[in-house]
Amino acid sequence: MSVLEVNELRVRYKAGSPEILKGINFEVEENDFFAIIGPSGAGKSTLIRCINRLVEPNSGKIYFKGNEITGMSNRQLRIVRRDIGMIFQEFNLIDRMSVMDNVLSGRLGYTGNLRSFFKIFPRKEIEKALNLLDRVGLRDQVDKRADELSGGQRQRVGIARALIQGPKLLLLDEPTSSLDPKISREIMSLIKEMAKELNVPCLCNIHDVQLAMEFCNKIIGIKDGVKMFDGSTESLNKQKLDEIYLMEVL
Amino acid sequence: MKSDQLLTNTAINVDDILVKRNRDKVSQSIFFMVMMALVLWSVNVTIIKDTDWERMGSLGEVLASAGRFFGIDFSLIPNLFEPAIETFMISCLGTLLGVIICVPAIWFGALNITPFKPITYPIGRFMMTMSRSIHEIVWALFFVAVLGLGALPGIFAIAVRSVGFIAKMSAEAIEDIELGPLDAIRATGANRFQVLLFAILPQVLPQVIGVILFEWEINIRRSAILGLVGAGGLGLVFFRQMNTYNYHGVTTVILAILGIIIIGEIVSHFTRKRMI
Amino acid sequence: MMDSINKRTSPIKTTSQTKWKRFKYPDSYISYCLWISALVFIAFSIEYLNIPLSRLLGMMGRMGDILANRYYPPDIEYIMDIDYAKSILETIQMAYLGALFGLVATVPLGWFSSFNMTPSRRYVYPVARLITMSCRAVHEMIWAILFVSILGFGMFSGVLALTFFCAGFAGKLLADEIEAIDMNPVEAIRASGANLFQVMIYAVFPQIRVAFTGIAIYTWDVAFRAATVVGFFGAGGMGWYLKRNVLQIETERVTSILLSILVLVLISEILSALARDRVMRMK
Repeated sequence: MSVLEVNELRVRYKAGSPEILKGINFEVEENDFFAIIGPSGAGKSTLIRCINRLVEPNSGKIYFKGNEITGMSNRQLRIVRRDIGMIFQEFNLIDRMSVMDNVLSGRLGYTGNLRSFFKIFPRKEIEKALNLLDRVGLRDQVDKRADELSGGQRQRVGIARALIQGPKLLLLDEPTSSLDPKISREIMSLIKEMAKELNVPCLCNIHDVQLAMEFCNKIIGIKDGVKMFDGSTESLNKQKLDEIYLMEVL
Repeated sequence: MKSDQLLTNTAINVDDILVKRNRDKVSQSIFFMVMMALVLWSVNVTIIKDTDWERMGSLGEVLASAGRFFGIDFSLIPNLFEPAIETFMISCLGTLLGVIICVPAIWFGALNITPFKPITYPIGRFMMTMSRSIHEIVWALFFVAVLGLGALPGIFAIAVRSVGFIAKMSAEAIEDIELGPLDAIRATGANRFQVLLFAILPQVLPQVIGVILFEWEINIRRSAILGLVGAGGLGLVFFRQMNTYNYHGVTTVILAILGIIIIGEIVSHFTRKRMI
Repeated sequence: MMDSINKRTSPIKTTSQTKWKRFKYPDSYISYCLWISALVFIAFSIEYLNIPLSRLLGMMGRMGDILANRYYPPDIEYIMDIDYAKSILETIQMAYLGALFGLVATVPLGWFSSFNMTPSRRYVYPVARLITMSCRAVHEMIWAILFVSILGFGMFSGVLALTFFCAGFAGKLLADEIEAIDMNPVEAIRASGANLFQVMIYAVFPQIRVAFTGIAIYTWDVAFRAATVVGFFGAGGMGWYLKRNVLQIETERVTSILLSILVLVLISEILSALARDRVMRMK
């Protein structure tokens, strides 16, 4: 059974405006590091945000672990979101909070309102946070404020925050677009390693085709809201890339 | 294995972290409880001891008291037009006069254009603070005592009260201007007045107009109640209705006041669009 | 070479299409009409309200006279009275209780009135906006009079009046602040499965914390100013002494009361400015 199945997904932002996504279909399996590539404005960001319903699709179905999530109520949706971790292009950390609190905020789906208010998290979760921060190399920055960190460090906090959820799927929305090339490579390696260690499939929006080819095993190419390519990285050749991007990229 | 070793390392640190987090929370809680105690003491001293609980009666009686206000006295409405127009006019003239009085306050109170910093700047700032610190009712009482009853003291009270905010915001806008255009105009040989007109004014005008409109809206509220101390307008009607225990009339007047406030907001909205 | 340069640049057009006018029709016409009507309205108002423009200057002179003779010297002994001192303390307590309760009410009010974070845009948002606007539109003195008539004289009415006023006042400011936040952290916290309450605490509150403190200080300022006067209508505090002496035309005592109000408000202003400074630095 695939971890994620997307069926005929269609999205338009306002009634009467053109469709952003025009019927997308694909599946993500257990050990995939799945890439979504395509020119800007093709609908990649929208697509990834539909998976955890940060953006509501207009029609089509999404199945996560066999359960249809497109019809779920808000409360059910929140439970599903606990199992889906997300890493953002702009890191989306809480600037004024410490690194530790930022990572712990990934467990909010498991924490009651009163405990959330007083920032009381169980010992096990603090242990897990510390482990993850150690793994991403930020143990010494545990008490620093998030806005005191560099871009690469912030994304590492983002990675720890997504992984403390113990997710069954990782969504990555252009995780390296705000980082310089060397750090980008480090971050992508780190994500891929940790995903493999923790056995989490990834669905990744990526702008840089080189990185996609290097780290991902499957690729889907989107242009103007339509799927132009769906297959393994090896089978993606220059001609198909040109079709998607309408220009020389390699 | 690596993760085992990590676990032992973290075991020590987790305790440290937990201790620190709990310690922080405890000190925050103590602070909070001290504040709560202060508040409860104040509540006790002011509200609980001071209120004539017997005269107030039960909750039901209180609600009944409040319920007396629910209702509109339709017969009063025709008599409200004149006072409403009066209130509106008082706010307009008051704001206008306030803007005129503001000019010296702004000139003195802006660091970059004040003529003699050690003396005039404090004077300007003092004018602004004085104006804002004294409640409009107090100003109104003062002007009624000096000028007699009617609309005139109301206008003066509004004017003097508005100076504070308009002058403060405008002075800050002037202090924030870009010096480039200033230099350019000066370089053409313009005199101080021309520099003011062509370099300073255009930069601050949108903000100043915005501030004036904002204060004008607030002044409509203020004008309405100045009548309570004799300065004309709907306040006087309100006063009379309260004194004759015509509760529905009171509600009607309040609604009328809300009505002209809404008119004020609409006018302000459109003026803002045109001017900015 | 000069010839070719001259030939390349296009000749300066002098046709009527490029004449520049300062006053463009119909824009200028409409503005002109609006200005004229505003001036007419002002002139009409002056007439309607019977404002004696010619006598104004004379009135200024008279004002100085009255001030010098009747309002000076201030009766300082009167305000040294122990009862008056108690009323000062009561005024301060009323002010901060009103500001405090008002701010407590503002937290949900501002949250529900913010377009981006309100739980329900169709139902909760308009209701919250309406409540905030009504509280703001009704003058704090009217609130005071209303509460005095329902609850009787005393500080209870004063505190409630100040609470309602502050809630409306700070509610709008808070809603504006919340609407100006960066929505990215909100998206992230939502994506991990948190509910709206948790999103507010973790993503919104840290961003508005400093601004909220500023709003709180400003609210205290305004509340204190109002508290000094609500007693005029029977709602407790030093305003009551003001009313008594105004009615009895004890003008020198009025002066001293006004002076005491001025001194207190100035002290409060200085303290607020200091507090605001520290908050700015903590940013």
